[in-house]
Amino acid sequence: MDRSELPTPLTVLEGRLSRRTMLRRSLAVGLAVPAVGSLLAACGGDDDDDDDDDSGDDDGDGGDADPTATTQRSVPTAGVAGGGGDATATEADDEPTEADDGGDEPTATEDAGEAEPTATEEPAGGSGDPVQGGVFVALGHHEISSLSPDDWGPSVHYFIVGNIHSRLLKLDNYYTLQPDLAESFEVSEDGLTYTFATRSEVLWHDGESFSANDVTYTFNFYRDPENAAASASNYQGVVDVQSPDDSTVVVTLDTPNAAFLTRAGQAGIVAEHHHGAIGEDAYKADPLGTGPWMLQEWRAAEFTECVAFPDYWEGPPNMDGIRENIVPEASVRAIALQNGEADSAVWPLVTDDHLRFRDDAEFSDFTVQVTSSVAVNHFPLNNEHPVLSDKSVRQAMMFAMDREAIRDDLWQGLAVLATANLSPAIEFYYEADVAQYPYDPDQAATLLDEAGWVMGDDGVREKDGQKLEWTCTIITGDQARRPEAELVQANFADVGMAMTIEEAPVATIQEGQRAGTIDMSLYNWTYGGSSGEPDPSNTLRSDARNNWSLYKNERMDELVDQGLIETDPEVRREIYSEVQKIVAEDVPFLFVKYWDWFNIFSPRTQGLPDGPLVAGNQYQFLHQMWLDDES
Amino acid sequence: MYRYVIQRLLQGIIVLFLVSIATFGILQAAPGNPVETMLGEGATQLTQEDYDRLLQKWGLDKPWYEQYFTWLGNFVTGDFGQSMVRAGVPVHEMVLEAAWPTIQLTSLSLAFAILVALPAGMIAAIRRYSIFDSGIMVWASAGIALPNFWVGLMLIILLALYLGWLPPSGGGDWKHYIMPVFVLAINETAVLARLMRGAMLEVLGQDYITTARAKGLREYVVIVRHAVRNALLPIVTVVGLRMAFLLSGTVVVESIFAWPGIGQLFITSVNRSDYQVVQAIVVLFTVLVIVANIVTDLTYAIIDPRIRLN
Repeated sequence: MDRSELPTPLTVLEGRLSRRTMLRRSLAVGLAVPAVGSLLAACGGDDDDDDDDDSGDDDGDGGDADPTATTQRSVPTAGVAGGGGDATATEADDEPTEADDGGDEPTATEDAGEAEPTATEEPAGGSGDPVQGGVFVALGHHEISSLSPDDWGPSVHYFIVGNIHSRLLKLDNYYTLQPDLAESFEVSEDGLTYTFATRSEVLWHDGESFSANDVTYTFNFYRDPENAAASASNYQGVVDVQSPDDSTVVVTLDTPNAAFLTRAGQAGIVAEHHHGAIGEDAYKADPLGTGPWMLQEWRAAEFTECVAFPDYWEGPPNMDGIRENIVPEASVRAIALQNGEADSAVWPLVTDDHLRFRDDAEFSDFTVQVTSSVAVNHFPLNNEHPVLSDKSVRQAMMFAMDREAIRDDLWQGLAVLATANLSPAIEFYYEADVAQYPYDPDQAATLLDEAGWVMGDDGVREKDGQKLEWTCTIITGDQARRPEAELVQANFADVGMAMTIEEAPVATIQEGQRAGTIDMSLYNWTYGGSSGEPDPSNTLRSDARNNWSLYKNERMDELVDQGLIETDPEVRREIYSEVQKIVAEDVPFLFVKYWDWFNIFSPRTQGLPDGPLVAGNQYQFLHQMWLDDES
Repeated sequence: MYRYVIQRLLQGIIVLFLVSIATFGILQAAPGNPVETMLGEGATQLTQEDYDRLLQKWGLDKPWYEQYFTWLGNFVTGDFGQSMVRAGVPVHEMVLEAAWPTIQLTSLSLAFAILVALPAGMIAAIRRYSIFDSGIMVWASAGIALPNFWVGLMLIILLALYLGWLPPSGGGDWKHYIMPVFVLAINETAVLARLMRGAMLEVLGQDYITTARAKGLREYVVIVRHAVRNALLPIVTVVGLRMAFLLSGTVVVESIFAWPGIGQLFITSVNRSDYQVVQAIVVLFTVLVIVANIVTDLTYAIIDPRIRLN
């Protein structure tokens, strides 16, 4: 048909084409569009096929192989690791929790840099010689919006970006910093100067040689206020970065900062010749690293795929590539794992699916690793509220809460009770010898009686005309945690405290908390512990931006400041021990528990670390793992 | 005729302007901002100075009206701005990239719905009160009542997990299309089938149908030439308007099936407070609805001689 013959409504209305002809042609065109579209799509849509082949779509679940002893479970007990992660939580408030999990054992600040950069863990996910080939397929829950290390906070980003880039120091699976691009480092006696000796045999993915200048460039770029980098706070206190030669980086701080190695030491390093040429905005889509995997294709909302870097300084990876598919729906991620379409889920499934994979014989050949998050599940309290400002009330609330029931009945046992602000997973800094709050309604009532809160006729206590009542605002639609608030509400009512529950979006809650207009809330957050670093200066200091409970304690401020400038790990341990004791005593917020964090691996995934402590960090060691379709 | 079209287009521009202001106002009134949403708990590491710098970088430190008029000025010149979350990527690129998968999904679903619903509704009307009629109506009621996210999950469990016939999610070859297209079409099919049945029943009761039969026309001719053609009039109107519902349905369906389309981009952008992208998608949807309405009106005039546009 000639273009001039195409029917339009106007030609009909003007009488140049009969209505019948118009309808016939329109029908033909209408039916042809979707048909042609589907044909085009079907012909061109083979993107998934390649790695379906590689991922062993036919036998990815190991159904045709002997399920030898591939199941490895590292379920933490209360004495080893806490809960973490959010199996069913809303994502906005918890997302970076596991992405940041990890941190530094204090030994890293001494001379860990002298260690050999070998894997520190014995492979536990299988046995035998590594098998070459295959593509490891992981599942994320939202788009990978950037490939820059400046934005690698969310776990779905970190899976890819952390594998493309290297750092000076890399967190292993046991909260210990290991040498990466830095072979060794020294810290001056005054704690103000860090000198890193960098590797000389490292290549960028484009074949150029890595040098210390790249580290200097990276640090200087991201700490420059002009560049408004999201990761700028990693370089807090850095006043100068120099590269006296190609394999030395000297960083000078204005005050000693014990968190420096954990934060700046783990920053992803970018190539000066590439990043400097294209700029940060373009780099977010065009990264160049020295890590074990090179970017092959990035479709932010669909998938991101990397191939093995053959010249990786630790040796070429065993697998051909890694891939992250974006699957927002948790139950669909479980199905993809179950039917062998994927090897792991970067973001957790729902609790019931976790339990199925952990307990059902059907999934005995999967590897389920349960680790700990460092974000405490807690009720932030407005410490300026007329009722909640009373420490006796806050302590009584702790005694009145049946936290065991919350953990066992509501959370199916997948959590560890919190004792203060730090997770037991941060073993070195964790302090168990603090004020304890077992479920004891009688003790709660006694505390309230002693504080002058008298039981009223309506079952609600009061004091000087003030009712013992307040509102707990939980996140809208947070079906996972609402039962927790309801159980606590009933617990409080038993001892004469009246708590009302209402819902609001998370951002409203956080704004209200900063303004002091919200009495109480419920979510997960870190009060120190991200990357294993115990510093809580952004949440427990009186003037901290995220001091959700408006908690003010001069001694706490002193300790927080001391903790940052003290570089001796033993002294720091003392400092953070006292921090935890104060938190347990003052109860600025109601600390409940740490959720378990599940990482599930397909039967063919081999070479997994044995009993990792850092949640989700296994994916940063994929170059040491392999895929064995016979497993 | 031309005057009518121009009038409708001018009305559409006013609607577009009002929608853009409303959307912008809602986004501004919603608490939080892209910086906090993007960083999530990582914001705990930010100093106030770093935080302020990020606000300044994205112009979020300016008054809302200044932000709006900046956006409007850019918009009328064809510049939709840059995504704040997927930093540096022009919004129009993101929307265009996501548009094609959604166009595929919606057009295939609509085609499926029309091809199934119209004959089903027609036959149900012709064989009124038969088992076929009852079956169609039960099925149509279920199609309207069942939420598509539930149907989607059930289909994934059945066809992907238990039977292993289809992939559970994602884009790719033709197999990836079957479940999302079907799920998105269910509601449309049900609505159109019921509507077609009702329209046919009404037409079949008209005098001119009786006259046609009295003239001795074959039943096939009576149905196809006289009944169906007239019964299609309300269908044409509804199909155009259902496009908006179909697009809204993609938000859920695309999330379930990990379909990288506009719906998924929209929900991701809302969740992450990516104002520029949300604004662009809302404007795009508004334009589509306005155009669909105008086209529907024009088409209606074309197929119904009684209607004249003036």
